[in-house]
Amino acid sequence: MTVVVEATDLVRHFGDVVAVDGVDLQVEEGEVFGFLGPNGAGKSTVVRMLTTLLHPTSGSARVGGCDVISQAGEVRRMIGVALQDAAIDPLMTGSELMRLQAVLHGIPRSVIKTRGPELLERVGLTAAVDRRVGTYSGGMRRRLDLALSLVHEPPILFLDEPTTGLDPTSRQALWEEVRRLNDELGTTVFLTTQYLEEADQLAGRIAIIDAGKLVREGTPTMLKSTVGAPTLRVEVGPEHVETTTTVMTGFGAERPSREGRVAIGLDEGAARVADVVRALDAAGVTVIHLELDAPSLDDVFAHATGRRLEGSGDEQ
Amino acid sequence: MTGSGLAGVMTAGSQTFELARRSLVGERRQLLSVMPGLIFPLLLAAVYTKQFQRVLDMPGFPEVDSFLDFILPACIVQAVSFGATAAGSELALDIENGFLDRLLASPVARGPILLGRLAGAAVVASIKTLVILAVFLVFGAEVAGGLAAMLVMVLVAALLVLVIGGLAQVMAVRTGSQEAVGATFPLIFVSIFMSSAFFPTTLMNGWFRVVAEYNPISWVINPVRRLVIVEWSTADALQALGIPAVLALGTISAAALALQQRLATP
Repeated sequence: MTVVVEATDLVRHFGDVVAVDGVDLQVEEGEVFGFLGPNGAGKSTVVRMLTTLLHPTSGSARVGGCDVISQAGEVRRMIGVALQDAAIDPLMTGSELMRLQAVLHGIPRSVIKTRGPELLERVGLTAAVDRRVGTYSGGMRRRLDLALSLVHEPPILFLDEPTTGLDPTSRQALWEEVRRLNDELGTTVFLTTQYLEEADQLAGRIAIIDAGKLVREGTPTMLKSTVGAPTLRVEVGPEHVETTTTVMTGFGAERPSREGRVAIGLDEGAARVADVVRALDAAGVTVIHLELDAPSLDDVFAHATGRRLEGSGDEQ
Repeated sequence: MTGSGLAGVMTAGSQTFELARRSLVGERRQLLSVMPGLIFPLLLAAVYTKQFQRVLDMPGFPEVDSFLDFILPACIVQAVSFGATAAGSELALDIENGFLDRLLASPVARGPILLGRLAGAAVVASIKTLVILAVFLVFGAEVAGGLAAMLVMVLVAALLVLVIGGLAQVMAVRTGSQEAVGATFPLIFVSIFMSSAFFPTTLMNGWFRVVAEYNPISWVINPVRRLVIVEWSTADALQALGIPAVLALGTISAAALALQQRLATP
């Protein structure tokens, strides 16, 4: 496989602040690469450097085989970029912006005439093309932004937090579109997100960034398996909590849980659940509720950084 | 960066054209913000003409039929100054909301990004000047230099927009803030008053006269005024056009340099 995005020891300082601190990464052609991290972790700074908008303080990066500084023009021709907040001139209409974007990419007018409407239809904006963008909803703006970034049919697409602030339906619609682009056209997608679910759903490979440094990298499955055992949670009556804890810690280390529940990391996985239940039964414990959770990306993040991602929906 | 030779120039040309069109579409869709820049200078001209009619008899005041003729260049410069910082504040808005990043991440050359905005503003200034000329002529102003002088005035207005707009763009690129760009407007507004725009420098005294005489706005206003009240003169026309052309080259280059530096490592 060809490596199409490559960063080597990428560093960016803003005054005394080290926003990106020695990031190495490689994205292969045709991949959906998820760049996951909390707000302020340095995701956008990395994307800005990869998309030629910001020079690195040190280190280097190549996109599509071209250096982002010395061959910035070539890089710009190969990439589609939809940055955070969908920066779109509110006074213009969707079709006007589409034409502007096409001209900026030097696409002939005859091509724009057919491709523009096609792209807008693809993202479901045909009915709104002649309305000013100022009247669009957040989801419509993001979809227009995506359509604009595709006008020159780029082989590599950078999406910086494409669904932040969107409602679940709009988020799903955007995910569908990203999947289709990747499946049908083989577009390589470099996606940043602060949503674990998004990275899990879309990305074939994930890198987790925290405080400017990469802390984990791999496929979601691989990353989750590194966290180790799945979590077994058992809900019992208050009188049984102590006994339950004693029994269960025989099967794995205790993990934090809510009152009235006992949780452990089940060392050998789902195969041992029956043994745990038998042992609890033998100890006279009545189980009210039992669940086994596979490790989530949030567990991976927590394992790597000692913190949970904001809004990760973890119930502990 | 946009290809080689003629093809590159043509691409940059159509990109500039498209960006200028964008800026004009924006102006047209918020006409309410353009109108004060036309109405205020006209009102001021009307008030001054009424009040200062007797000034014409002062010894040393240029010989004119009406104060209207005298104040025509000032009115144009003032109208131009209202819209000129827009090229900068709109650019600052593009920086604030991230639209500039969209432009910068595309293969568009850096020149068209700045020139597109300025060209749009220059077209607006030319239209404003035509309107002002029409209004003045209806109210009895006479342009001694004739149609050629009027054409010079339209071009001077367009060039002045490039000077002030370029300066505003430097501010925009350096600060990325609309407020900072907006703060330059009063400076320009005041410097028009501290020039020969509303009064001949020969009738001024002390430091004010020195400031007015060294004020580049006077260097442009004076030849334009001679074209209006004396007669056509190629030398005056060249001075009126040459000074803002040179200044525009300076401010636009400074804006381009600032944009380049913005991208580079601090």
